[in-house]
Amino acid sequence: MKHFLRINRLGIALLLLVSLASCTTTTIDEFRQGETGIENNESVVILGRRQASDYETRSEFVECVGEGMTRGENSISIVPEQEFIDAMFPWFEPRTAPLRTRDLERLMTEAVVSQKMTEFGVRYIVWLDGFTETTDRSGSISCTIGPGGAGCFGFGSWEDDANFNARVWDVSSLTNVGTISTDATGQSYLPAFIIPIPLIARVEANACSRLATQLKDFVNGS
Amino acid sequence: MNRVRGLMRGRVRTVLILVAALYLTACGVNNVVIEGSFPTPNINKLPLNVAVYYDPALTEFAYIEYSETGSEEYNIASGQSHIELFSTVLPAMFDGVVVVESIEEAEALGVDAIFAPIIEEFQLALPAKTKLDVYEIWIKYNMRLMKADGDYIADWVLTSYGKTPSESLRSVEAAINAAAIVALRDLASSFSLSFSQVPEVKDWLNTL
Repeated sequence: MKHFLRINRLGIALLLLVSLASCTTTTIDEFRQGETGIENNESVVILGRRQASDYETRSEFVECVGEGMTRGENSISIVPEQEFIDAMFPWFEPRTAPLRTRDLERLMTEAVVSQKMTEFGVRYIVWLDGFTETTDRSGSISCTIGPGGAGCFGFGSWEDDANFNARVWDVSSLTNVGTISTDATGQSYLPAFIIPIPLIARVEANACSRLATQLKDFVNGS
Repeated sequence: MNRVRGLMRGRVRTVLILVAALYLTACGVNNVVIEGSFPTPNINKLPLNVAVYYDPALTEFAYIEYSETGSEEYNIASGQSHIELFSTVLPAMFDGVVVVESIEEAEALGVDAIFAPIIEEFQLALPAKTKLDVYEIWIKYNMRLMKADGDYIADWVLTSYGKTPSESLRSVEAAINAAAIVALRDLASSFSLSFSQVPEVKDWLNTL
């Protein structure tokens, strides 16, 4: 009976920790500037902005959003980022990529660019810009090893903040049709009692899935 | 007794050699040979036959990054990757491209122009030194374009920049390689798009 109670207490404590760890807050903000809609034969390309000197939008996040848009109801055909950039070389490199729709308009006058765009069937270009920052690190964990065994003791925690915005350009009208911003924050914990138990807040994953869903609805015009 | 002593001496020697090898490995320079592939530029070709001369200073180019204590930390060999890059970019820019061993050989071929690129400066910024979360590479080039008879057409400076985020699972060597490939792509894009906009080149193209 005593043994059962001890296990139960441990289970409750673990459940509490897990529920604390899953505390991620995600805010989505949508600003629509034009009508949208997409045909079955059209596709979307998601590109990461890499012009900033101190950070760059990770290609893994870009890939994650793209994958999210290809799944589920009203899924959308996505052109892989690297495949598109390589095929368009040298027009979508960090230094040469269009920053405004006016630059895209100028770029589309190049026969090779407009021809490739038609080949891919690109209707929308989504520019993703942002990064995930880790702040408020606190606590400490110490690990020891001896003849009797090894173990870690302590507690650590930190906060992750993922801030991304997606600008949607309509390639057919060469206009900016809207911007979707996402801000996800979450606290992660690392308690260590003999072995460290990481309880990680899936901040970037949450930002990715919410942004993908919102972008999919936005592009479909719903 | 002598056999035991000999056996012991042999073992001690083996251990010493292993320790010395470990010591040398720990203190040695890390060699990084830049490797990667480059896409072909989608640009309009110029109706020119160009000879390319790769100076040994370019083909054998290597940059050494020193640690804070002054010892050699990384030896980055990027000469061959530059040759691969130019071999992809130049045929997309000009109607005809031929690689020559010397300027004299190019003069004998009667081409429209001779192109000779050189690396003037190479800089590497590691997160451990800059405290930024990115690896950065900056390269300065001197691009020379000459007429078939060796006369000067243009001589201009081009810079390229590449950076890549630091990831805990990626080795420093892999991150340096990735940053260098970004810098080389940057060179390819700016060189192929700005070539005919260089004032002296533009003037020369107008005379053809």
